[in-house]
Amino acid sequence: MSVAVCLLLYGAVVCVVAPRLLPYLTRGGSAPGAAVAVWLIVVATVLASWAAAAAALAVHVARTWNRPDPLALAACLAQVRSAVAGHNGLAMQAGLLVPALVLSAFVVVLAARVGRSLVSARARSRRHAESARIVGRRVAGVDGLVVDAPQKMAYCLGGRPGTVVITSAAVAALQRPHLNAVLAHERAHLAGRHHLLLTATRALAASLPRMRLFTVAHAEVARLLEMCADDTAARRHGTAALLSAILTLAGANPIPATALGATSVGVSARVSRLTDPDTAARRLGARVLLAAFSGVIVAAPLLAVWASTSGFPACGPFTA
Amino acid sequence: MARGFGDLEAVVMDRLWAREGATTVREVFEDLLHDREIAYTTVMSTMDNLHRKGWLSRERQGKAYLYVPSMTRAQYSAQLMRDALDVGGRSDLVLAHFLEQISDDESAALRKVLRRLASRKGAR
Repeated sequence: MSVAVCLLLYGAVVCVVAPRLLPYLTRGGSAPGAAVAVWLIVVATVLASWAAAAAALAVHVARTWNRPDPLALAACLAQVRSAVAGHNGLAMQAGLLVPALVLSAFVVVLAARVGRSLVSARARSRRHAESARIVGRRVAGVDGLVVDAPQKMAYCLGGRPGTVVITSAAVAALQRPHLNAVLAHERAHLAGRHHLLLTATRALAASLPRMRLFTVAHAEVARLLEMCADDTAARRHGTAALLSAILTLAGANPIPATALGATSVGVSARVSRLTDPDTAARRLGARVLLAAFSGVIVAAPLLAVWASTSGFPACGPFTA
Repeated sequence: MARGFGDLEAVVMDRLWAREGATTVREVFEDLLHDREIAYTTVMSTMDNLHRKGWLSRERQGKAYLYVPSMTRAQYSAQLMRDALDVGGRSDLVLAHFLEQISDDESAALRKVLRRLASRKGAR
């Protein structure tokens, strides 16, 4: 019982703290790969804590079903009341079964929504890539499909094989080394399978649009993955070429604002970190900080579960 | 260049967009024979697929079909770009743009970075 309460509480704390604290830690884009990993760890831990809480609650209901102990029930009610106060006023009144059902239903519905979102994203991406392959031209020396369009832009789509699309206007605007930097950036996304991560975080953000953790996680992961791809492109073609490419294409076309709040992937932040690269010490510092953060995130629920199952009164203040 | 089946669709559409007016399978087949070894039935099924997917319209003339692209290449390109730019709206399309939209705040921040860069270069 107190395991479930502890896990839910922990999830709530992470949902409040992480979207406020973590963007601050990863703002500068030092060690963007490590930062992406930490975001994924945070999201996975919250999801796991919900699923585990649902399971723990269900097990508890099943165990106590045949031998209702009025005292135990009263104690449980008090625990549930304190745990869900402010979250679910109705469930609070209805005993233990209702929160167990509600929590399980929530987990199942969330999984179904995310699953549906993933499937539809895959289908959309495949259709778009197929159209791009038919409409786009193969131009010698351009490692991507060139689509005739007045907008200056480049993008990539996941799938097998991945697809890089660049418009004729962008090809015309970019000098050859700059064009190669853009294409290397897109290839880095595909090689790193970034679209898989983006599809997953997007599905979560779209399934629970009110949860700040997931919308912020999606926006931040998208931003950090751009920086990862920037680093790869800069290593291969030089920072100057990549910067010139960004400046050539920046602000070229008005893209409608996105619903997920990821209106921009921090172009000025990308430019800043390219012009003013991190020192090795700063990168190490960022890594240590991120490792410590993810250590706390992962260790806390495990400790809480261990403490509550071993009778250690760690959850006492919350569950009493 | 890879010669997968999907690739053949691109090649056939390329030929049809380059031609004026309606075209039979035989004409496309003979056109393609100049560049590659290919079976008539392959061309026929490719064009049938393109018709089924909406890329080609056709009407029967005698024993053969006359095919014509449903839209021009420019129209398809515009449609593709609209689709790519609609990311994050109601669409489920996930793609990584080289540059996302720049908001007003963002472009002000970018100008600031550029000014700083310029002044640093000037100072050197």
